[in-house]
Amino acid sequence: MSKPKVGFFDFASCEGCQIELTNFGDVAFLELINHIDIVEFREAMSEKAGKLDIAFIEGSFTRESDRKRLEEIRKRSAIVIAYGACAATGGINALKNHQHDYHECVYGKDAKAPHLASNIALPISAAIKVDYSVYGCPMSRDEFIRIVSHLLHDKQPIIPNHPVCMECKLNETICRFHDGDHCLGVVARAGCGAPCPKDGIPCEACRGFVSTPNVDSLVKTLINKGGMHSSRAWNKSRMFTNNQRGDVK
Amino acid sequence: MSSYFITRANFEKFIVKLIQAKKKIYAPVSKKQSFIFDELTSFDDLRLDYDVTILPPKKYIFPPRQGLLTFDKQGHNSLIAPEDKILLGVHFYDLKAIDMLDNLFAANNSDANYLANRAATTIIGANIQKISKRAFWGSVGKDVRPHGYDGFIIKLDGGEGYVYECYTDKGSALLKSGDFSNASPAQIAASMDINERVLKQCPEKLNHSSKEIATKVRSTFKEKQLWEELADDCFSCGSCNTVCPTCYCFDVQDNWNVDQVSGRRERTWDACMTEDFAKISLGGGHEENFRESKAQRFRHRIMRKSTYLNETLGGPACVGCGRCSSACTADIADPAKAINRIMEL
Repeated sequence: MSKPKVGFFDFASCEGCQIELTNFGDVAFLELINHIDIVEFREAMSEKAGKLDIAFIEGSFTRESDRKRLEEIRKRSAIVIAYGACAATGGINALKNHQHDYHECVYGKDAKAPHLASNIALPISAAIKVDYSVYGCPMSRDEFIRIVSHLLHDKQPIIPNHPVCMECKLNETICRFHDGDHCLGVVARAGCGAPCPKDGIPCEACRGFVSTPNVDSLVKTLINKGGMHSSRAWNKSRMFTNNQRGDVK
Repeated sequence: MSSYFITRANFEKFIVKLIQAKKKIYAPVSKKQSFIFDELTSFDDLRLDYDVTILPPKKYIFPPRQGLLTFDKQGHNSLIAPEDKILLGVHFYDLKAIDMLDNLFAANNSDANYLANRAATTIIGANIQKISKRAFWGSVGKDVRPHGYDGFIIKLDGGEGYVYECYTDKGSALLKSGDFSNASPAQIAASMDINERVLKQCPEKLNHSSKEIATKVRSTFKEKQLWEELADDCFSCGSCNTVCPTCYCFDVQDNWNVDQVSGRRERTWDACMTEDFAKISLGGGHEENFRESKAQRFRHRIMRKSTYLNETLGGPACVGCGRCSSACTADIADPAKAINRIMEL
């Protein structure tokens, strides 16, 4: 693919993945710009483009009005890449999907304000076809570069589909369960290099589940080894992976 | 083989001298409540009283992530650049495992990267002072003796000192760094007794010979229900493979640098328990997974460790270190438990 026309779009998100792009630092980001032609990027420029080779979409699909915008982007883009947890899996926004009482609690007298009306938070793949996903909260910069590089060379990028546990073993990190803690690494998609358990923090599965997570075994493990009571063990994976559970709304 | 003796005080001086020399030393050190092989920079860090390390010492010969070559517009450059090093304090089960890898990587299309690293490595074993909770090395592949290591250290009871067994020139080359004397017949007998005694002290054991196990396990290949039951809690995380001293599968990928012209070919450890391990391209955008269920994958691993490689290696491709058992969060990976259960069928 010779110098593709690229656009960046955002939906319900903190825009932290855009920040993560700039965290590449001058050298890597400016070097990348030599190989892609950024023609649409709301945060950085006011121009609008027509046809795109690659659309990078951040944020979750949480309002019916988003659907139209997503379809419009899909229509004029050859490749759509969901980047960051919100776009790829619904991300942390999907925490609200099994709750109904947060409006008053969070917004008080403004609870009924029209701009707060939204549906459950879904990955953008719930509205349009997505070709590739860059997982993580924030997205993995290295993976972003790897995927773009592969596409520039017309190659299929390889996205890890095994649990984070393997990366902890490679780091020789003491298992959180061996330290009397809990962890979602057993069902979480690897590719991050497992920095959280390395720092003594349980994995929260920000990259989502692997394609076939053993959720029954997870609940069993959280109870037997993580010391959780059964309802907490069952609800534990609602933080980043609410949309990937068997009881998804 | 020649046996030497070194006093406790002189042993410390010997290690200090090795540390000061040019060759890097990798040895067991503590990491929180566990142990790992790491670069030894001080005698005080050396923990020959370790039970087992998280990863096996094979990581210094067959690294988890290894650059094979770099490429650019002009062509490619090999990254084979072995580091002269000493692996110190390797338990006998890991010596057995390295010996197996030596055979496997030399066979058929010999692996130049592995062999170069291996040739640059001096391997010094050490007796087992503490036994890990899941060890069963006392009963697995009993007829298989390790070869290929250069020396072996045995700490004598009572703390008077160490017996050092020399097997090769590389092993003898270390003698000049320490104040060694010839070991007395009593010291040699004591050191042999220490190695014999420890074999009977494993917390877990296999109850049958390697041959009986190989035959029986193979005969259960079509027992679908058995394998589904054994694998029911499996997360397909590949931890059991990753910590295994005899696993040797790897994946190779090319990655471009951000300039999109130059790049690097790397190989990384692969794991047959993961879902994508057996996923292959059929061309035209189609793919197939020839071990799609976790039960098939679990069966494959147990077969590989107890049956498939026995003829090639002269015994099972499992050394009983118990690393997989403790690395498995679901606690289903333990080969001793799985095999003993199968043997009772």
